[in-house]
Amino acid sequence: MSNDMNIPDGIAVGLSTPKLENREKVTGRAEYIDDMSRPGMLYAAILGSPYPHARILSYDVSAALAAPGVVGVVTGEDVPDGRMGAFIKDEHALAKDKVRYVGEPVAAIAAETLAEARAAVNLIEVEYEELPAVLSPEEGLAKNAPILHEELESYIKVFDAGSTGNLCSRTELSEGDVDKAWADCAIVVEDEFVTEPQAHVSIEPCGALAEIDAQGRVTLWSANQSVFRVQANVCESLALPMSRLRSLTPRVGAGFGNKMEPHIQPLTVALAIKTGRPVKCILTREEDFEIVRARHPFKIRMKTGADANGKLIARECEVLLDCGAFADDSPGVLGYALLMSGGPYRIPNQRATGKLVYTNKLRFGAYRGFGNPQVTFAGEQQIDEIARRLGIEPIEMRRRNLLKQGDGWFVGPKIASNGLERCLDAVAAASGNPKASQDRIKRGRGLAITAHISGLLGTGAIVRMLEDGTISLNTGATDIGQGSDTVLAQICAETLKVPVDMVSVASPDTDGSPYNWGTTASRVTYTTGRAVAGAAREVVNQLFQHAAEMLEVPIEDLELREGGRVALRGSNEDLPFAAISGRAHWAKGGPIVGSHTLVFDEPTHDPKRAIALGLPFPQIGVFSFGATLVDVEVDQVTGQTRVAEAWSAIDVGRAINPRLVDVQTEGGFVQGMGFALYEAMVWDGARLANPSLLDYKIPTSADSPHIHSIIIEDPEPTGPFGAKGAGEISLNAIPAAIANAVNTVCPGLSHALPLTGERVLERIEESDNAA
Amino acid sequence: MSDKQVISLSINGVAREVFAPSDSTLLDVLRDDLGLHAAKRGCNQGVCGACTVMVDGVPMRSCLTMAGACEDHEVKTLEGYIQDPLMNSLQEAMIASGGVQCGFCTSGVLITARNLIEEKPDAAAEEIRTALSGNLCRCTGYVRIVEAIAKAAKEVVV
Amino acid sequence: MSFVVLPKNIEDAVRFLADNPEARPLSGGASLVAMKNAGLIEASHFVSLARIEGLNGISVDEGGLRIGGMTRHRDIAASAHLTGDLAMIAQAAGQIANRVVRNMGTIGGAVGNADPAADYLPVLTCADADVEIYGADGPRRVSIEDYLIDWYETALEPGEIVTAIHLPHPKEARSNYHKLARTPGDYATASVACAIDGARVRVAVGACGPKPIRSAEAEAALEGQIADPAAIRIFADSLAALADPIDDVRGSSDYRLRLIPRMVTAAINELRGAH
Repeated sequence: MSNDMNIPDGIAVGLSTPKLENREKVTGRAEYIDDMSRPGMLYAAILGSPYPHARILSYDVSAALAAPGVVGVVTGEDVPDGRMGAFIKDEHALAKDKVRYVGEPVAAIAAETLAEARAAVNLIEVEYEELPAVLSPEEGLAKNAPILHEELESYIKVFDAGSTGNLCSRTELSEGDVDKAWADCAIVVEDEFVTEPQAHVSIEPCGALAEIDAQGRVTLWSANQSVFRVQANVCESLALPMSRLRSLTPRVGAGFGNKMEPHIQPLTVALAIKTGRPVKCILTREEDFEIVRARHPFKIRMKTGADANGKLIARECEVLLDCGAFADDSPGVLGYALLMSGGPYRIPNQRATGKLVYTNKLRFGAYRGFGNPQVTFAGEQQIDEIARRLGIEPIEMRRRNLLKQGDGWFVGPKIASNGLERCLDAVAAASGNPKASQDRIKRGRGLAITAHISGLLGTGAIVRMLEDGTISLNTGATDIGQGSDTVLAQICAETLKVPVDMVSVASPDTDGSPYNWGTTASRVTYTTGRAVAGAAREVVNQLFQHAAEMLEVPIEDLELREGGRVALRGSNEDLPFAAISGRAHWAKGGPIVGSHTLVFDEPTHDPKRAIALGLPFPQIGVFSFGATLVDVEVDQVTGQTRVAEAWSAIDVGRAINPRLVDVQTEGGFVQGMGFALYEAMVWDGARLANPSLLDYKIPTSADSPHIHSIIIEDPEPTGPFGAKGAGEISLNAIPAAIANAVNTVCPGLSHALPLTGERVLERIEESDNAA
Repeated sequence: MSDKQVISLSINGVAREVFAPSDSTLLDVLRDDLGLHAAKRGCNQGVCGACTVMVDGVPMRSCLTMAGACEDHEVKTLEGYIQDPLMNSLQEAMIASGGVQCGFCTSGVLITARNLIEEKPDAAAEEIRTALSGNLCRCTGYVRIVEAIAKAAKEVVV
Repeated sequence: MSFVVLPKNIEDAVRFLADNPEARPLSGGASLVAMKNAGLIEASHFVSLARIEGLNGISVDEGGLRIGGMTRHRDIAASAHLTGDLAMIAQAAGQIANRVVRNMGTIGGAVGNADPAADYLPVLTCADADVEIYGADGPRRVSIEDYLIDWYETALEPGEIVTAIHLPHPKEARSNYHKLARTPGDYATASVACAIDGARVRVAVGACGPKPIRSAEAEAALEGQIADPAAIRIFADSLAALADPIDDVRGSSDYRLRLIPRMVTAAINELRGAH
């Protein structure tokens, strides 16, 4: 529990400590995957499928093998039949028997130089039999649609997915009686919404480096969000016992979900096994767009009803998701989006249903928000629309309906700490009056509120006191740049009442780190932080045991003193950690090592409350909250919209490192803004049309607005020092807030994301014509 | 055997000779032949800015510069600014401000920022934002980067 | 596999290009090296123009202004020579890509590449520029009208290089360049170059077809009537009627057709001082 030892915080927690690895990053000494090399290393190139859907009939690698510098080639014939997949195990290490999207890796080559690998890869000949392709979920569900996964029924699934045909999974959640409830509503709004796929565009493309040792054991470094998921996926797909593969991490150049599940690690390992030499594979930016994963496009039908006072009575949400060629995290995104589709409101009658359909496109997968930004985009606009029609001010509309302390979430999760109203109050107070419109620039203000979980699955921490009293912390959590190493060190340091520079953080290594599911789901501060606090408390217990014996005093009379000392309360008698650690190492008790592991185990579904079919998360997490207000400027000549200013408040329970929370708010805002205004991956038939930063644009410093980041702390009782997650709560509400702002300038709702100049101009012209 | 040639360069004030493919870019040579990894390959198209280095005192995209065309030019990478007071001031400001997250854009940002401050020490926040528009960052939202640059600019003794 | 060669004069450069049909001229590298990196071109040689004297810089003589082909966008954007009705050229240069790419990219490279969305094309069209080309037979000059032929197609013969842009002396007039782009530095979705010189308006629309759109008849009809919103409207619509845009990731052809009248009207009104 957070503070049950009455340790007043302040020596580490609550400080905006600069991140531990910043100095190496500003001097250019940080080592990322492409900066690494190993003796005898080969370079890989990948051959992708030219077809969206085809059977592989044969391979001829002879010309490729004969090319200069080439050492080895792998194809689907070199990898076993093992399948990997977070929810449904449907994916091989390399395409086997069939290809299912344009660009899907079909073969890979390793050569002495990158240039030789790239020159030779096109010499690999593959014979295909083209099959008709499915390019939309509707096509996938149609009668007699071509089937992507003929063996779908036989795939291992970790939950009741209801998979059949091209239906990858389905989920249905309901509470109350939605069908009856419409009759009680004074106002009902129903709309359809569409969102387009967003690319992660981590500035570092994906990469991996694999090496086989003399015993045939694999060492694998890769750009990742979880060395453990990498290990599991590679071993599953290559039929290796997990103890035969060691997965490590270099510095990672960001991952917003794209590096959580595997990318090219399996094929890189396959090449290393084939050639017997280390192999490095780094994706080009184009490949990074084309073969990793992207944010799901959503088709949403949403219906919301309220009484004459604006009190919400019913919400119905139906979604159709494009899965892409492989399930990846998609069943999770479907389930989670539906779970979040009611928003942070008291709505007594809710139903959320959805289908996830395989298509012959790039797999869609985890992306910051995990379906929540899309359903929030829909729901928050309907809330505003109801408010507008009833003459209720948007902030007041939220106040009348938001979840309060003690309320639970749709379907069942409990909410312990709830700072939502304070977030709303904070942005209302901070924003002042909107500026006036001027000439061709019309200004509008929009609000959106949101919630997100942090928690999920398993994690552990080991805290070891070194002989000299300093601390080594090992959690296995990959720091992807967001600062988790620093935050976890702060939690550890605070528990031990030492300055953070007495704690060193071990780099994640499946050989030595305790399990951590991954850096995802906004979970590391909360879930891994709990394990760190627990392990550090065990160290404190052991220190006290020793000190009690060494000082010959009762254990209850001992306390920690700042700087690494155990003292007799009310006296000057104390022992430095080094003295205690020395005794432990050399004389009695054994080295001081604390460990703590946990799995988030609060159930998602309360059967007394709701019906749930195909819920992919039996346990989920605790809740963070957020509110965002934006001021947009819409150019009446072109329809182009930009955000001028924004106020974004997130309730993170406790800001272990306030500066790092601010950066989540700011970074999440800008990434959400890109999604809202112009980011869209575009398919031209089966082929991705814009796999390049020339054609796919992300926000620059020149179009990012003035962002006011506000931290709200409503301590989470189960969180380390009260902390809960910040990573995704910072993004969810942004597209919705921007849409709501645009809706004050242009009539109607924003039915599609992104809100391009083109879409907005259409509405401007409609309203000009109507006038 | 690929077509390699000797390319003579001046890197961080030191004459270096590499034997590299003739169509190498400056980025290729810095990273693959000279072990200077601060400049990163984010897109290889000149858009992301992670490869930015100084050539004759002017920030350039090393991924769009042919190594073979650099022979009578002075190339300076982030590694060459180890003891540069202005760069050090920027680095300290970035460390403290929160402008470094994953760090992949950082080298390019620092090179561009140092050049901006050198040319215009009194650059306002808006000008900093505009000047930095060719350095893409996906993590920070740019707020703390601009803050750090403004802070370092103020510290310049005019 | 490409070798870099660095000739010291233009005659050597064009002779090398003539003798080596797989060789390509290299100016700033902003486009060419990006294409090489993407595997879109394979050149036997890159013939760098960097060491050739007389290609870099802006000079003035009785005939007008000469902008050397190797002059960088950064220098064009900052040039004190580009005033009045040539100010739009500096404005266009200053909006290309970003500060760092503007240190590298050149007008000769951009005009040689002739991407239909390129910022120079509408302003040079509006300014009645001439393009100086150097080939194996020596130099020649072509009007920008005749230089730009179709999508990525210009009057350049294989082995020829754009060595300069020639402009009339700037007039005491007002000009602007407006570019609609998704983010700062993106290629234009649509762009408008506009110059008003007394009663005379010149407008060229970029990124909305294979070449910039300009109409002498429409300009003649508008002359003397630029205070009349209806006349401006007719003028702007007539340019849209001449446009032949495509759908691409920056916008649909439909969007561009809607944008043209709106952006042209706004550009003219801004120069007039009206809103």
